[in-house]
Amino acid sequence: MRSLEKYAWVGLVSARSQLAYASEVLSRIIFLLVILYIFLRVWHVAYAETGCTSLAGLTLSQMLWYLMVAESIMLSGPRVTPVVDEEVRTGALAVQLIRPVSYPLYRLSVALGDRLVRFLLSLTAGIVIVLVLVGPIPLSAGGLLCFALSLPLAFVLDFLGYFLIGLAAFWLEDTTGLMLIYSRITMVLGGMLIPLDLFPESIRPALKALPFANIVYGPARLFVHPDSETLVRLLFTQAAAVAGFSILLWAVFMLALRRVHANGG
Amino acid sequence: MNAVELDRLYKTFLLKKGNGFRRTQQEVVAVDSISLSVEQGQSVAFIGPNGAGKSTTIKMLTGILHPTGGCAQVLGLVPWAERGQLAGKIGVVFGQRSQLWYHLPPDDTFDLLARIYDLDKQMYAKRKAMLVDRFDLGQFIKTPVRKLSLGQRMRAEVAASLLHQPKVIFLDEPTIGLDVVARHELRDLLREWNREDGLTIFLTSHDAGDIESVSKRVIIINHGSVVFDDKVSTLRRRYLGAKVLSLKFHEPPKTFSMPGVTVVKANGYALKLEVDTNLVEIEQVIQHLLRSGPVADITIEDPPLEEVIAHIYGQRKLDSEEQSCQEGKRQDGSREANLATTSRLISNCASLSDSQAKEVRSP
Repeated sequence: MRSLEKYAWVGLVSARSQLAYASEVLSRIIFLLVILYIFLRVWHVAYAETGCTSLAGLTLSQMLWYLMVAESIMLSGPRVTPVVDEEVRTGALAVQLIRPVSYPLYRLSVALGDRLVRFLLSLTAGIVIVLVLVGPIPLSAGGLLCFALSLPLAFVLDFLGYFLIGLAAFWLEDTTGLMLIYSRITMVLGGMLIPLDLFPESIRPALKALPFANIVYGPARLFVHPDSETLVRLLFTQAAAVAGFSILLWAVFMLALRRVHANGG
Repeated sequence: MNAVELDRLYKTFLLKKGNGFRRTQQEVVAVDSISLSVEQGQSVAFIGPNGAGKSTTIKMLTGILHPTGGCAQVLGLVPWAERGQLAGKIGVVFGQRSQLWYHLPPDDTFDLLARIYDLDKQMYAKRKAMLVDRFDLGQFIKTPVRKLSLGQRMRAEVAASLLHQPKVIFLDEPTIGLDVVARHELRDLLREWNREDGLTIFLTSHDAGDIESVSKRVIIINHGSVVFDDKVSTLRRRYLGAKVLSLKFHEPPKTFSMPGVTVVKANGYALKLEVDTNLVEIEQVIQHLLRSGPVADITIEDPPLEEVIAHIYGQRKLDSEEQSCQEGKRQDGSREANLATTSRLISNCASLSDSQAKEVRSP
């Protein structure tokens, strides 16, 4: 219990520290405004060309709300890979390893605290923007609860992916390339640009089974189309993915610890 | 009781060279069978040139690295096997790595550390109040770290490392980048904690001032081996066997020449000499100088510590080994003490789990 309190406090401190980045928040809001306006124009054309009022079960307004939530999830991603990479490369990892905390859990707590603030700020700004652009859509308290329940494991899963890439710094000269590939794959296969329901039927089940869908598509879809059955299925696949990634992370971390060198102080 | 004990501690790394099929591996000895002990409450400077094996040794003593061979104990614990337990008993300050949250006041980091180290709330409150008072943190404890001067930040760093009442503190370049005043303040604080609270200090620094101010004992490591282990005060005498004489005359002195004496600088009325006391007695030199001309002022100094250290660093490994043998003869007493602890260390290390014991093979 005290151990949980310890990590909860790390998350809280991280969240407070994140509030200092006011200028970064502003730049994210401007980016969100631009990207949502572009999405609106693109999808407006798509709906007009097809003559449909609903695509993948979503109206134009719902589509923009879906894209806003998906974009907020992606934009709120904390700097996990660069931080781990830097700590490995500069030897700063030593400071963390000496403390009576688990390094992966410490970084997870920092990332979650950080992400919570970033996500809430992005989501708030996003809601204001889509309200101005397309107006409200029907939302219910139960639906919002479904959405909220789907987020923690999505964020943990995303963290595990980026942390694993950061640990690659023990073997690779630079992890930036890997990180870019991972984030782009999450954007495309996670359903940030296009909801997965619009992908060809033949690959759709495979895409929905991938971890990327559990991070972006699943929660964003639940926001506009809340459904308890989908939520249970999503939580189950998220938990399975988190368990699998955690085992992988533990194995890689154990291997990485054997490669800790004394170079660089 | 000894706070730190090393028994033939040995560490090698595999260094990869070349690319592709031409890639070869070379074993590099980072720490070469170091044996030493540090009593509780001692303040020790552990110094050496870059790449000498200091950081590797400290990382083994803090449990981050496993040795290739030999054994070590810090406060009776084998660091790499009992890192969790040890973490609550040691403090670490890396001058170039901050543990304070950059955008938050030191107070927030203190609160976080109290939870990380599972400190009792009342005990923590008392301890923090005492540290704030002694490190004079009151004025800036609520100011974000990014707005603090480097000197204030380092005071807060050291105070943060002492929050959980460690028995041993490892300091790696704690004064790097600090101005003269901040350096003096930090050195005074460290000396005070060592003297009044019995804190064992294991200091690594390239600054001779840190070594002289904070430590009584200096251990010099070069090429992975201990090349000197004695009092700071004996370091100069033993290694260079030299004194620096600075003189001012009422009138330009006669040309000065004497075996064992080197003229470092001759400038009109002033003369600076380096005397090799192994070849000539200092009194003889002074008598000779008094005959050279009317002396207005005379100063006898030890050579600067930095010069002595640079001299030792510059020695080849073979020289180091020879001197290490000589040092060994001089320090029979302390070596015997080390040997006495050896059997205990080995038996403690042997009681580690099989998996850990596999990591610790003889060099």
